[in-house]
Amino acid sequence: MMKNKLRLSLSALALAAAGLAQAQVAVIVNPKNATAAMTADQVAGIFLGKSNTLPGGATAAALDQPESAAVREQFYTKVTGKQAAQVKAAWSRLVFSGKATPPKELASSAEIKKFVAANADAIGYIEKSAVDGSVKVVLSVD
Amino acid sequence: MMLSTARSSLYRLLPLVAALASLGAQAQSSQSAFTFSGFATLGVVGTDTNKAHYVLPGQVRGGDKSFSGEVDSKLGLQATGRLNTVFSGTAQLLTKQNGKGSFTPELEWAFVKAQLLPSLALRAGRMGAPFFAVSDFRDVGYANTWLRPPLDVYGQVPVSHFDGVDGLYQTNIGSATVSAQLFAGSSSAHFERTKLKFKDLMGFNTTAELDGGITLRLGHAVGKITVESATLDQLVAGLRGVPLPTVSSVGDQLSARSKDVSFTGVGLAFDEGNWLFNSEYTLRRTKTYIPDTTGWYTTLGYRVGKFTPYLTLSRLKVDDNNVDNTIPLGLSPQLNGLKALVDGTVEGQRTEQKTVALGLRWDAMRNVAVKTQFDRISPKGAGLFTRVQPGFGSGHVNVYSLAVDVVF
Repeated sequence: MMKNKLRLSLSALALAAAGLAQAQVAVIVNPKNATAAMTADQVAGIFLGKSNTLPGGATAAALDQPESAAVREQFYTKVTGKQAAQVKAAWSRLVFSGKATPPKELASSAEIKKFVAANADAIGYIEKSAVDGSVKVVLSVD
Repeated sequence: MMLSTARSSLYRLLPLVAALASLGAQAQSSQSAFTFSGFATLGVVGTDTNKAHYVLPGQVRGGDKSFSGEVDSKLGLQATGRLNTVFSGTAQLLTKQNGKGSFTPELEWAFVKAQLLPSLALRAGRMGAPFFAVSDFRDVGYANTWLRPPLDVYGQVPVSHFDGVDGLYQTNIGSATVSAQLFAGSSSAHFERTKLKFKDLMGFNTTAELDGGITLRLGHAVGKITVESATLDQLVAGLRGVPLPTVSSVGDQLSARSKDVSFTGVGLAFDEGNWLFNSEYTLRRTKTYIPDTTGWYTTLGYRVGKFTPYLTLSRLKVDDNNVDNTIPLGLSPQLNGLKALVDGTVEGQRTEQKTVALGLRWDAMRNVAVKTQFDRISPKGAGLFTRVQPGFGSGHVNVYSLAVDVVF
């Protein structure tokens, strides 16, 4: 009993410490989207321009945070495993070969949430703490 | 069917691209959008010799002991208008030192794209010619690790775009993403002020992106080349006018009017974690005085934070000069003169060289890369240099380059 309690409080402490260092990132879609969960590879495919479809087959409308947002850097590092400059170079290859257009950039997590709540094929990412019932989380990363 | 009308259809498409663009600008819904982007490079290059100019093949002047800003510097502006989820139009204007020695902006691309299915798109207009692994963005310095794509490979084909149609298909096979592109059209370009025309151009370009950051590529293209040179035409006519098969046949071999050409390339790239590796092996084949060549390069780089040092080894080799100079010597002074002219023409196409290049890319800001590169080139004859003077081509040439690449 005591042992369990100790373990619980230890993990809570660990979580709190992690939260201080970096917020969790949630990948969100419209609640009407039938997809329950996505893998990091599937999400990375969309945000690096390798795929333009959601698991259901619809053309994805991907949304980016501003370049200055901490959550953006964290999302790309954790989900795609690439640094900002690598992501920028990858997109410039696609944009300047006319093959794809990069995710639409919105000003804040609130705007991304609003857009995702209103568009069935939208996909974006926000701080996990900003998630509410208007959107559905398909992937969380620490 | 599209081949002969490709050029006229391009001009008909231009107003459509403009219309798409303005429509996109007016309607800012989630379905339609107008995006504007661009890229630029400011670069200087110099060498340790005044006996030749270092250029991108086709350019008329470049760097020697005096540094030149006219080899790598360029500016590209691109606009894409999206009408709805199916139709979009893209136009790109590019200015760099062209094969006429001017910086006159040229329409690099102007195409409409119909994304019929998420996996299938058709395009018509002027598009990037996919002869190489990075042909579509070879001018976008920021998108590439090198300061410039290795000339021993990219210098073999002087055209960067074509007018016609293509189809792009993308599918997932297991965990691999496979893309296939089929294209057909025509193209033209100036190479050191001589006009080259390519007709009946068609080919394919396939890539497979595998797990672990591995990309494989296979491409093949065929077409018919015409070199618009009055000097060459006169020489060919002179040779064909001699009633000796050993002479007139040389004229047939030298002729560059609607002659078959082909280009084949395989590529392997690896980009995972901090390591990056790029390699291409290419073959050029022609039925005229332009030689058959093999070009390859291998690049290895390693990211250390914002710095990426890299090493490139490359080689351009002439496999066959395609002209068997059977003109008999000693029959007449005129024939001796013709034989020498043929030898000179063939020798002028000898572009063999080997290169060892060491470079450093610094991602200075989010959209700015600063690069420096040192090339040690060993040409046989002129290699890919121009304005070559006697005495050049016996040793190696050191080439020093510095460039700032921006995307916006």
